[in-house]
Amino acid sequence: MIATRHLSSVALLIALFSAGCASNVKVAEPTLPKPHIDKLPLDVALRIPDEFNHFVHEENVLGRETWTIDLGAANATFFKQLFGFMFDKVIVLGPDDDAMDYTFDALIEPVIEGFEFSVPNQSKTEAFAVWIRYRMQIYDSAGNSASTWTVSAYGKSQKEGLGGSKALQRAAELAMRDAAALILLHMNKATKISALADGPIDISQLESPVVADNASADGGIGPVGIFAIGGIDNDSE
Amino acid sequence: MTVSNALTMILVVAISGCVTAVIEDAREQPTGLLEGETVVVMAKSYHQGNETETDYIRCVEKALGRGSGALNVVPNQQFVDNLFPWFEPRTAPADTKGLAQLMERPGIPEAVRDMGVRYIVWLDGDTSRVTQGGSLSCAAGPGGGGCFGFAWWTDAADYEASIWDLGDSAAVGTVTVDYSGTSFLPALVIPIPLIARTQSKACSGLAKQLKLFIVGDDAT
Repeated sequence: MIATRHLSSVALLIALFSAGCASNVKVAEPTLPKPHIDKLPLDVALRIPDEFNHFVHEENVLGRETWTIDLGAANATFFKQLFGFMFDKVIVLGPDDDAMDYTFDALIEPVIEGFEFSVPNQSKTEAFAVWIRYRMQIYDSAGNSASTWTVSAYGKSQKEGLGGSKALQRAAELAMRDAAALILLHMNKATKISALADGPIDISQLESPVVADNASADGGIGPVGIFAIGGIDNDSE
Repeated sequence: MTVSNALTMILVVAISGCVTAVIEDAREQPTGLLEGETVVVMAKSYHQGNETETDYIRCVEKALGRGSGALNVVPNQQFVDNLFPWFEPRTAPADTKGLAQLMERPGIPEAVRDMGVRYIVWLDGDTSRVTQGGSLSCAAGPGGGGCFGFAWWTDAADYEASIWDLGDSAAVGTVTVDYSGTSFLPALVIPIPLIARTQSKACSGLAKQLKLFIVGDDAT
Protein backbone atom coordinates (compact mmCIF):
# COMPACT_ATOMS: atom_id res chain seq x y z
CA MET A 1 0.00 0.00 0.00
CA ILE A 2 2.79 2.34 0.99
CA ALA A 3 4.71 1.35 -2.16
CA THR A 4 1.66 2.07 -4.31
CA ARG A 5 1.27 5.45 -2.67
CA HIS A 6 4.93 6.27 -3.33
CA LEU A 7 4.63 5.15 -6.92
CA SER A 8 1.58 7.35 -7.37
CA SER A 9 3.43 10.34 -5.93
CA VAL A 10 6.42 9.72 -8.16
CA ALA A 11 4.18 9.35 -11.20
CA LEU A 12 2.42 12.57 -10.31
CA LEU A 13 5.73 14.39 -9.92
CA ILE A 14 7.02 12.99 -13.23
CA ALA A 15 3.80 14.05 -14.94
CA LEU A 16 4.07 17.53 -13.47
CA PHE A 17 7.69 17.98 -14.49
CA SER A 18 7.33 16.45 -17.94
CA ALA A 19 4.22 18.41 -18.83
CA GLY A 20 5.17 21.37 -20.98
CA CYS A 21 3.88 24.87 -20.41
CA ALA A 22 1.35 26.21 -22.85
CA SER A 23 1.16 29.81 -23.99
CA ASN A 24 -1.70 31.26 -25.95
CA VAL A 25 -1.31 34.47 -27.89
CA LYS A 26 -4.25 36.24 -29.48
CA VAL A 27 -3.27 38.74 -32.14
CA ALA A 28 -5.55 41.74 -32.30
CA GLU A 29 -6.94 42.85 -35.63
CA PRO A 30 -4.39 45.19 -37.20
CA THR A 31 -4.90 48.86 -37.87
CA LEU A 32 -2.67 50.06 -40.66
CA PRO A 33 -1.85 53.77 -40.79
CA LYS A 34 -2.91 55.63 -43.93
CA PRO A 35 0.03 55.23 -46.27
CA HIS A 36 1.79 58.01 -48.17
CA ILE A 37 1.34 56.43 -51.59
CA ASP A 38 -0.79 57.13 -54.64
CA LYS A 39 -3.68 54.74 -55.16
CA LEU A 40 -3.53 52.57 -58.26
CA PRO A 41 -6.44 53.36 -60.62
CA LEU A 42 -7.76 49.84 -60.57
CA ASP A 43 -10.97 48.07 -59.54
CA VAL A 44 -9.87 44.99 -57.65
CA ALA A 45 -11.74 41.95 -56.37
CA LEU A 46 -10.19 40.44 -53.26
CA ARG A 47 -11.03 36.83 -52.52
CA ILE A 48 -10.59 36.16 -48.80
CA PRO A 49 -9.89 32.47 -48.19
CA ASP A 50 -11.74 30.78 -45.36
CA GLU A 51 -8.59 30.31 -43.24
CA PHE A 52 -8.10 34.11 -43.08
CA ASN A 53 -11.07 34.38 -40.74
CA HIS A 54 -9.77 31.93 -38.13
CA PHE A 55 -6.07 31.26 -38.56
CA VAL A 56 -4.46 29.45 -35.62
CA HIS A 57 -0.85 28.30 -35.55
CA GLU A 58 0.34 25.86 -32.88
CA GLU A 59 3.90 24.78 -32.35
CA ASN A 60 5.77 22.77 -29.78
CA VAL A 61 9.07 24.46 -28.99
CA LEU A 62 11.93 22.08 -28.22
CA GLY A 63 9.49 19.62 -26.69
CA ARG A 64 9.06 21.84 -23.66
CA GLU A 65 6.57 24.54 -24.42
CA THR A 66 3.56 24.75 -26.68
CA TRP A 67 2.76 28.08 -28.23
CA THR A 68 -0.57 28.79 -29.84
CA ILE A 69 -0.92 31.93 -31.91
CA ASP A 70 -4.47 32.83 -32.78
CA LEU A 71 -4.57 35.35 -35.61
CA GLY A 72 -8.37 35.12 -35.75
CA ALA A 73 -9.62 37.33 -38.55
CA ALA A 74 -6.51 39.52 -38.48
CA ASN A 75 -5.45 38.45 -41.98
CA ALA A 76 -8.84 39.21 -43.50
CA THR A 77 -8.91 42.65 -41.89
CA PHE A 78 -5.30 43.25 -42.89
CA PHE A 79 -5.84 42.62 -46.62
CA LYS A 80 -9.13 44.53 -46.72
CA GLN A 81 -7.45 47.58 -45.17
CA LEU A 82 -4.30 47.29 -47.23
CA PHE A 83 -5.98 46.96 -50.61
CA GLY A 84 -8.47 49.65 -49.61
CA PHE A 85 -5.48 51.99 -49.33
CA MET A 86 -3.85 50.68 -52.52
CA PHE A 87 -6.61 50.57 -55.10
CA ASP A 88 -9.41 52.86 -56.23
CA LYS A 89 -12.09 50.25 -55.52
CA VAL A 90 -12.03 46.92 -53.73
CA ILE A 91 -14.79 44.29 -53.84
CA VAL A 92 -14.42 41.63 -51.15
CA LEU A 93 -15.40 38.12 -52.22
CA GLY A 94 -16.00 35.22 -49.87
CA PRO A 95 -14.58 31.75 -50.53
CA ASP A 96 -17.82 30.65 -52.24
CA ASP A 97 -18.58 33.79 -54.24
CA ASP A 98 -18.49 33.42 -58.01
CA ALA A 99 -16.07 35.99 -59.42
CA MET A 100 -17.94 36.02 -62.73
CA ASP A 101 -20.86 37.78 -60.98
CA TYR A 102 -18.70 40.86 -60.44
CA THR A 103 -16.93 43.42 -62.61
CA PHE A 104 -13.29 44.18 -61.86
CA ASP A 105 -9.92 44.77 -63.50
CA ALA A 106 -8.02 42.26 -61.39
CA LEU A 107 -8.78 39.55 -58.87
CA ILE A 108 -6.31 38.89 -56.07
CA GLU A 109 -6.29 35.69 -54.04
CA PRO A 110 -3.89 35.85 -51.09
CA VAL A 111 -3.00 32.72 -49.11
CA ILE A 112 -0.73 32.10 -46.15
CA GLU A 113 2.00 29.86 -47.49
CA GLY A 114 4.04 29.74 -44.33
CA PHE A 115 3.99 30.90 -40.73
CA GLU A 116 6.97 30.44 -38.43
CA PHE A 117 8.24 31.94 -35.24
CA SER A 118 11.13 31.70 -32.85
CA VAL A 119 11.25 32.26 -29.10
CA PRO A 120 14.27 33.31 -27.00
CA ASN A 121 15.02 29.68 -26.06
CA GLN A 122 15.62 28.89 -29.71
CA SER A 123 17.35 32.06 -30.90
CA LYS A 124 19.47 32.53 -27.75
CA THR A 125 18.50 36.20 -27.77
CA GLU A 126 15.91 38.19 -25.85
CA ALA A 127 13.73 38.51 -28.92
CA PHE A 128 10.66 36.84 -30.37
CA ALA A 129 10.51 36.71 -34.16
CA VAL A 130 7.71 35.88 -36.60
CA TRP A 131 7.92 35.08 -40.29
CA ILE A 132 4.82 35.10 -42.48
CA ARG A 133 4.89 34.13 -46.12
CA TYR A 134 1.93 35.25 -48.22
CA ARG A 135 1.39 34.16 -51.78
CA MET A 136 -0.82 36.25 -54.00
CA GLN A 137 -2.33 34.87 -57.15
CA ILE A 138 -3.50 37.60 -59.52
CA TYR A 139 -6.04 37.07 -62.29
CA ASP A 140 -7.24 39.45 -64.97
CA SER A 141 -10.90 40.27 -65.58
CA ALA A 142 -11.24 37.31 -67.95
CA GLY A 143 -9.96 34.83 -65.39
CA ASN A 144 -6.47 34.38 -66.83
CA SER A 145 -3.72 33.97 -64.29
CA ALA A 146 -1.63 37.11 -64.61
CA SER A 147 1.05 36.52 -62.01
CA THR A 148 1.95 34.97 -58.68
CA TRP A 149 3.89 36.88 -56.09
CA THR A 150 5.31 35.59 -52.82
CA VAL A 151 5.99 38.03 -49.99
CA SER A 152 8.12 36.98 -47.04
CA ALA A 153 7.64 39.27 -44.06
CA TYR A 154 9.48 39.39 -40.76
CA GLY A 155 8.77 40.95 -37.40
CA LYS A 156 10.86 40.97 -34.25
CA SER A 157 10.11 42.18 -30.74
CA GLN A 158 12.19 42.19 -27.59
CA LYS A 159 10.97 40.23 -24.59
CA GLU A 160 9.60 42.50 -21.90
CA GLY A 161 8.77 41.30 -18.41
CA LEU A 162 8.48 37.65 -17.45
CA GLY A 163 6.09 36.32 -20.07
CA GLY A 164 6.57 36.47 -23.79
CA SER A 165 2.98 36.65 -24.98
CA LYS A 166 3.00 40.37 -25.61
CA ALA A 167 6.34 40.26 -27.40
CA LEU A 168 5.21 37.42 -29.68
CA GLN A 169 1.97 39.24 -30.38
CA ARG A 170 3.93 42.38 -31.25
CA ALA A 171 6.29 40.39 -33.48
CA ALA A 172 3.31 38.99 -35.40
CA GLU A 173 1.84 42.47 -35.80
CA LEU A 174 5.21 43.79 -37.01
CA ALA A 175 5.48 40.95 -39.52
CA MET A 176 2.07 41.87 -40.95
CA ARG A 177 3.12 45.49 -41.08
CA ASP A 178 6.33 44.49 -42.85
CA ALA A 179 4.23 42.61 -45.41
CA ALA A 180 2.06 45.71 -45.85
CA ALA A 181 5.11 47.89 -46.53
CA LEU A 182 6.46 45.40 -49.07
CA ILE A 183 3.12 45.06 -50.85
CA LEU A 184 2.53 48.82 -50.94
CA LEU A 185 5.96 49.61 -52.35
CA HIS A 186 6.69 46.61 -54.58
CA MET A 187 3.52 44.86 -55.67
CA ASN A 188 2.91 46.89 -58.81
CA LYS A 189 6.53 46.68 -59.90
CA ALA A 190 6.67 42.93 -59.25
CA THR A 191 3.32 41.91 -60.72
CA LYS A 192 2.54 44.71 -63.22
CA ILE A 193 -0.99 44.64 -61.83
CA SER A 194 -1.71 48.21 -62.96
CA ALA A 195 -1.45 47.06 -66.59
CA LEU A 196 -4.67 45.10 -66.03
CA ALA A 197 -6.57 48.40 -65.96
CA ASP A 198 -6.23 48.34 -69.76
CA GLY A 199 -8.11 45.06 -69.98
CA PRO A 200 -7.31 41.35 -69.80
CA ILE A 201 -3.88 40.14 -70.74
CA ASP A 202 -3.30 38.95 -74.29
CA ILE A 203 -3.84 35.20 -73.97
CA SER A 204 -2.13 34.55 -77.26
CA GLN A 205 1.10 35.31 -75.42
CA LEU A 206 0.32 32.76 -72.71
CA GLU A 207 1.32 29.13 -72.89
CA SER A 208 -1.47 27.79 -70.64
CA PRO A 209 -4.11 30.20 -69.40
CA VAL A 210 -5.70 29.37 -66.06
CA VAL A 211 -9.34 30.13 -65.34
CA ALA A 212 -9.74 32.02 -62.08
CA ASP A 213 -13.39 31.42 -61.35
CA ASN A 214 -13.50 29.87 -57.88
CA ALA A 215 -10.05 28.45 -58.52
CA SER A 216 -8.13 27.25 -55.57
CA ALA A 217 -5.29 29.53 -54.59
CA ASP A 218 -3.13 26.44 -54.54
CA GLY A 219 -3.92 25.96 -58.17
CA GLY A 220 -1.64 26.52 -61.11
CA ILE A 221 1.11 29.07 -61.04
CA GLY A 222 0.54 31.83 -63.54
CA PRO A 223 2.56 31.73 -66.70
CA VAL A 224 3.45 35.42 -66.68
CA GLY A 225 5.85 35.54 -63.82
CA ILE A 226 6.73 34.53 -60.29
CA PHE A 227 8.35 37.12 -58.09
CA ALA A 228 9.59 36.99 -54.55
CA ILE A 229 10.95 39.52 -52.11
CA GLY A 230 12.16 38.60 -48.68
CA GLY A 231 14.56 36.39 -46.95
CA ILE A 232 13.13 32.98 -46.07
CA ASP A 233 12.56 30.74 -49.01
CA ASN A 234 10.51 30.75 -52.12
CA ASP A 235 9.35 27.24 -52.39
CA SER A 236 6.54 28.17 -54.70
CA GLU A 237 9.12 28.50 -57.39
CA MET B 1 13.80 64.53 2.80
CA THR B 2 13.76 62.54 6.00
CA VAL B 3 16.91 61.17 7.57
CA SER B 4 15.81 57.61 6.78
CA ASN B 5 15.26 58.48 3.11
CA ALA B 6 18.67 60.10 2.92
CA LEU B 7 20.29 57.08 4.55
CA THR B 8 18.51 54.76 2.11
CA MET B 9 19.77 56.77 -0.85
CA ILE B 10 23.32 56.80 0.46
CA LEU B 11 23.11 53.05 1.07
CA VAL B 12 21.78 52.38 -2.45
CA VAL B 13 24.56 54.47 -4.01
CA ALA B 14 27.21 52.93 -1.81
CA ILE B 15 26.25 49.32 -2.48
CA SER B 16 25.59 49.49 -6.20
CA GLY B 17 28.12 48.01 -8.58
CA CYS B 18 30.67 50.17 -10.34
CA VAL B 19 30.25 51.53 -13.87
CA THR B 20 32.87 53.08 -16.11
CA ALA B 21 31.97 55.23 -19.11
CA VAL B 22 33.47 56.55 -22.33
CA ILE B 23 31.43 59.15 -24.22
CA GLU B 24 32.55 60.63 -27.51
CA ASP B 25 30.98 62.73 -30.20
CA ALA B 26 31.99 63.59 -33.73
CA ARG B 27 30.46 66.65 -35.34
CA GLU B 28 30.20 67.00 -39.10
CA GLN B 29 27.93 70.04 -39.27
CA PRO B 30 26.65 72.72 -36.90
CA THR B 31 23.32 72.02 -35.20
CA GLY B 32 20.59 73.88 -33.35
CA LEU B 33 16.87 73.82 -32.70
CA LEU B 34 14.36 76.58 -33.44
CA GLU B 35 11.21 77.18 -31.43
CA GLY B 36 8.73 74.38 -32.14
CA GLU B 37 11.28 72.07 -33.75
CA THR B 38 11.44 68.50 -32.47
CA VAL B 39 13.57 65.39 -32.58
CA VAL B 40 12.63 61.75 -33.02
CA VAL B 41 14.53 58.71 -31.74
CA MET B 42 14.63 55.67 -34.03
CA ALA B 43 16.34 52.29 -33.86
CA LYS B 44 18.36 51.15 -36.82
CA SER B 45 16.61 48.29 -38.56
CA TYR B 46 16.59 44.79 -37.12
CA HIS B 47 16.65 43.63 -40.72
CA GLN B 48 20.27 44.74 -40.67
CA GLY B 49 21.03 42.85 -37.47
CA ASN B 50 20.56 45.72 -35.04
CA GLU B 51 19.55 44.56 -31.55
CA THR B 52 18.84 47.87 -29.80
CA GLU B 53 16.37 47.16 -27.02
CA THR B 54 12.89 48.71 -27.17
CA ASP B 55 13.09 49.83 -23.55
CA TYR B 56 16.43 51.56 -24.23
CA ILE B 57 14.85 53.58 -27.05
CA ARG B 58 11.97 54.54 -24.76
CA CYS B 59 14.44 55.47 -22.04
CA VAL B 60 16.42 57.78 -24.37
CA GLU B 61 13.17 59.33 -25.64
CA LYS B 62 12.07 60.08 -22.07
CA ALA B 63 15.47 61.31 -20.94
CA LEU B 64 15.75 63.70 -23.89
CA GLY B 65 12.37 65.16 -23.10
CA ARG B 66 12.94 65.94 -19.44
CA GLY B 67 15.40 67.61 -17.13
CA SER B 68 17.80 70.42 -17.88
CA GLY B 69 17.88 71.39 -21.58
CA ALA B 70 14.90 69.16 -22.38
CA LEU B 71 14.11 68.77 -26.09
CA ASN B 72 10.73 68.37 -27.73
CA VAL B 73 10.57 64.70 -28.69
CA VAL B 74 8.04 63.21 -31.08
CA PRO B 75 7.18 59.64 -30.02
CA ASN B 76 8.83 57.12 -32.32
CA GLN B 77 5.59 55.26 -33.14
CA GLN B 78 3.77 58.48 -34.04
CA PHE B 79 6.54 59.45 -36.47
CA VAL B 80 6.63 55.99 -38.10
CA ASP B 81 2.82 55.84 -38.39
CA ASN B 82 2.55 59.32 -39.87
CA LEU B 83 5.12 58.44 -42.54
CA PHE B 84 3.92 54.88 -43.23
CA PRO B 85 5.34 52.92 -45.05
CA TRP B 86 8.58 54.86 -45.48
CA PHE B 87 10.17 54.40 -42.03
CA GLU B 88 9.41 50.73 -41.44
CA PRO B 89 12.37 48.52 -40.44
CA ARG B 90 12.69 47.27 -44.02
CA THR B 91 11.99 50.51 -45.87
CA ALA B 92 13.62 53.27 -43.81
CA PRO B 93 16.40 55.11 -45.64
CA ALA B 94 19.76 53.51 -44.91
CA ASP B 95 21.75 56.67 -45.64
CA THR B 96 21.26 60.37 -46.20
CA LYS B 97 21.17 59.88 -49.97
CA GLY B 98 18.06 57.74 -49.48
CA LEU B 99 16.68 60.34 -47.08
CA ALA B 100 17.10 63.11 -49.66
CA GLN B 101 15.23 61.02 -52.24
CA LEU B 102 12.48 60.28 -49.73
CA MET B 103 12.10 63.96 -48.84
CA GLU B 104 11.35 64.68 -52.51
CA ARG B 105 8.29 62.44 -52.50
CA PRO B 106 4.94 64.25 -52.43
CA GLY B 107 3.47 64.53 -48.96
CA ILE B 108 6.59 63.52 -47.05
CA PRO B 109 8.11 66.98 -46.36
CA GLU B 110 4.65 68.23 -45.35
CA ALA B 111 4.14 65.33 -42.91
CA VAL B 112 7.60 65.93 -41.41
CA ARG B 113 6.91 69.65 -41.13
CA ASP B 114 3.54 69.04 -39.43
CA MET B 115 5.35 67.13 -36.69
CA GLY B 116 8.08 69.76 -36.53
CA VAL B 117 10.78 67.10 -36.75
CA ARG B 118 14.22 68.61 -37.43
CA TYR B 119 16.51 65.77 -36.34
CA ILE B 120 16.34 61.98 -36.46
CA VAL B 121 18.52 60.22 -33.89
CA TRP B 122 19.30 56.68 -35.15
CA LEU B 123 20.31 54.32 -32.36
CA ASP B 124 22.51 51.31 -32.92
CA GLY B 125 24.00 48.92 -30.38
CA ASP B 126 22.93 46.94 -27.35
CA THR B 127 23.75 45.85 -23.82
CA SER B 128 25.34 42.44 -23.48
CA ARG B 129 26.96 40.30 -20.82
CA VAL B 130 30.68 40.11 -21.51
CA THR B 131 31.98 38.10 -18.56
CA GLN B 132 30.66 36.35 -15.50
CA GLY B 133 32.06 34.14 -12.76
CA GLY B 134 31.89 32.87 -9.20
CA SER B 135 29.43 30.46 -7.71
CA LEU B 136 26.48 30.73 -5.43
CA SER B 137 24.39 28.00 -3.89
CA CYS B 138 21.24 28.15 -1.86
CA ALA B 139 19.62 25.51 0.29
CA ALA B 140 16.47 25.25 2.35
CA GLY B 141 15.46 22.80 5.06
CA PRO B 142 12.95 22.43 7.87
CA GLY B 143 14.99 24.75 10.07
CA GLY B 144 15.32 27.48 7.47
CA GLY B 145 17.47 28.24 4.48
CA GLY B 146 20.21 30.40 3.16
CA CYS B 147 22.73 31.07 0.42
CA PHE B 148 26.49 30.99 0.39
CA GLY B 149 28.99 32.04 -2.24
CA PHE B 150 29.95 34.89 -4.49
CA ALA B 151 28.94 35.64 -8.08
CA TRP B 152 29.83 38.50 -10.38
CA TRP B 153 29.16 39.58 -13.94
CA THR B 154 30.08 42.42 -16.26
CA ASP B 155 27.68 44.05 -18.73
CA ALA B 156 28.77 46.27 -21.61
CA ALA B 157 26.37 48.86 -23.00
CA ASP B 158 27.71 50.13 -26.32
CA TYR B 159 25.50 52.47 -28.32
CA GLU B 160 25.98 54.83 -31.20
CA ALA B 161 23.59 57.62 -32.11
CA SER B 162 23.76 59.02 -35.63
CA ILE B 163 22.02 62.35 -36.01
CA TRP B 164 20.43 63.35 -39.32
CA ASP B 165 19.15 66.83 -40.09
CA LEU B 166 15.86 66.58 -41.99
CA GLY B 167 16.18 70.26 -42.99
CA ASP B 168 18.95 69.57 -45.47
CA SER B 169 18.92 65.74 -45.47
CA ALA B 170 22.44 65.53 -44.08
CA ALA B 171 24.24 63.64 -41.34
CA VAL B 172 25.38 66.12 -38.71
CA GLY B 173 27.37 63.81 -36.47
CA THR B 174 27.47 60.88 -34.09
CA VAL B 175 27.53 60.37 -30.34
CA THR B 176 28.87 57.10 -28.95
CA VAL B 177 28.67 55.79 -25.40
CA ASP B 178 30.50 52.75 -24.08
CA TYR B 179 29.53 51.84 -20.53
CA SER B 180 30.88 48.87 -18.65
CA GLY B 181 29.47 47.81 -15.31
CA THR B 182 30.36 44.99 -12.94
CA SER B 183 27.74 43.64 -10.56
CA PHE B 184 28.47 41.53 -7.48
CA LEU B 185 26.33 39.13 -5.54
CA PRO B 186 27.95 38.03 -2.27
CA ALA B 187 25.88 35.75 -0.06
CA LEU B 188 26.42 34.80 3.52
CA VAL B 189 23.04 33.33 4.40
CA ILE B 190 21.37 36.37 2.82
CA PRO B 191 22.38 37.40 -0.75
CA ILE B 192 23.32 41.08 -1.05
CA PRO B 193 22.98 42.20 -4.67
CA LEU B 194 25.30 45.04 -5.70
CA ILE B 195 23.88 45.72 -9.14
CA ALA B 196 25.54 48.00 -11.69
CA ARG B 197 22.81 49.77 -13.66
CA THR B 198 24.85 49.78 -16.84
CA GLN B 199 22.10 50.21 -19.43
CA SER B 200 20.27 52.82 -17.39
CA LYS B 201 23.43 54.88 -17.02
CA ALA B 202 24.19 54.48 -20.73
CA CYS B 203 20.71 55.85 -21.41
CA SER B 204 21.06 58.94 -19.23
CA GLY B 205 24.65 59.49 -20.43
CA LEU B 206 23.68 59.33 -24.09
CA ALA B 207 20.64 61.57 -23.62
CA LYS B 208 22.70 64.19 -21.78
CA GLN B 209 25.34 64.22 -24.51
CA LEU B 210 22.71 64.34 -27.28
CA LYS B 211 21.11 67.40 -25.70
CA LEU B 212 24.48 69.15 -25.65
CA PHE B 213 25.24 68.03 -29.20
CA ILE B 214 21.95 69.12 -30.73
CA VAL B 215 21.48 72.49 -29.07
CA GLY B 216 25.10 73.16 -28.22
CA ASP B 217 26.16 74.67 -31.53
CA ASP B 218 23.49 77.04 -32.76
CA ALA B 219 23.25 76.93 -36.53
CA THR B 220 19.78 78.35 -36.82
